[in-house]
Amino acid sequence: MRSSLSRIALAIVTAAGVSVSACDATAPAAPGSAPATESAAPATQPGVQLSALAPANVAKSRPAAPFDLTGNWFIDTTESADAWRFGPPYPKLTPAAQVHFDASQKAAREGKVYRDDIGQCWPAGLPLIMTRYWPMAMVQIPTAIYMVSGFMNSLRIVYLDGRPHTELDIIVRTFNGESIGHWEGDALVVDTIGFRGDHHWMDQGGASIPAGEQLHIVERIRLINGGKQLEIEYTMTDPEHWEGEWKSMKRFNRVDDEDIQEVSCLPDLNEHLQSTTSKAQVR
Amino acid sequence: MGKVLLGCVVLMLAGMVPLLAHHSPAAFDRTKEVTLKGTVKEFRWQNPHTWIEVNVPDDKGNVVLWGVELTSPTYLIRAGWKSNSIKPGDKVTVIVNPVRTGEPAGIFQKLILADGRELTERPARLGNANAK
Repeated sequence: MRSSLSRIALAIVTAAGVSVSACDATAPAAPGSAPATESAAPATQPGVQLSALAPANVAKSRPAAPFDLTGNWFIDTTESADAWRFGPPYPKLTPAAQVHFDASQKAAREGKVYRDDIGQCWPAGLPLIMTRYWPMAMVQIPTAIYMVSGFMNSLRIVYLDGRPHTELDIIVRTFNGESIGHWEGDALVVDTIGFRGDHHWMDQGGASIPAGEQLHIVERIRLINGGKQLEIEYTMTDPEHWEGEWKSMKRFNRVDDEDIQEVSCLPDLNEHLQSTTSKAQVR
Repeated sequence: MGKVLLGCVVLMLAGMVPLLAHHSPAAFDRTKEVTLKGTVKEFRWQNPHTWIEVNVPDDKGNVVLWGVELTSPTYLIRAGWKSNSIKPGDKVTVIVNPVRTGEPAGIFQKLILADGRELTERPARLGNANAK
């Protein structure tokens, strides 16, 4: 649960370095030329998925990306301070979800907070991690987009190198899931599955709808307003918890005067934030 | 806590407060202000939240330890704070929105130093790309 900022930072630095290399290597390699590095060797082994950071993968010939998301992004709250929420409106809930939603509404009426797992240091997970009130740093290279939230340094990787999703019987379920992206015209379409189905919620306080293992999120991402804004159209399904598609549109503003920092939910954090251990907390 | 609770003011701010904490903000009563006059026990300058613990004497001669939650240093710096703006032993007045349960905890609104200087939070960046 604790962040590993050093590893994340290394990944970003490495990614940025590889990105430059990739830009320099846009021309196809001359026939018969030697591999760029020894790390290209595994590419010849069948069944081996090259790392998104492997130079041989980054340098593969592929269409140029329509846009580059590299930057820091912060949820746009022009229209509402509640823009971080993905509802209302909410889809028709299943009984399994309705019981939690009703309990959270009851708690809210009583001035209490129902099962605030994020407040207890569980990861926010997708989709809420995208709209926390801390910027999200993104670094894009030809094979992937590395996202690190300023909130608990939560790591999300969107693979762009054409790999398929991991088979569900071996996938390691996580709160941000496994994201595979591809380009469609002026949009990046990201498909995410493989979520943890416990301590994972679609809202935080007052509208507690669980996110289950069947959660499937498709994001249609566009860069708009001359690159100043990111627009993401969310289409989310989870037949265990709601019927049909749950849709939501979010906008994010580019932040050029702030970097994310090391942020961890340390053991002594909540000891000094009495509200997290208050009688207002309903577990 | 007669002296502790110097005033509860209806602010009509409910629903206007963004999610600045790592936890749900619903535990706090944003319609009330509590003014605390006391002595700083600890001031922790760290992510994701800065916090202040203040020993506040009540009208029965007891000292009540209040926990006050603030936003991250990134945004406090932009409001003029430094890591040494306050230190243990400082006499301060702190205005908070309290938790709804009556427990001695709240989310920060304003701090008044012994010399009368005031420190507030500025909100995390809100609004559109041109907002600063």
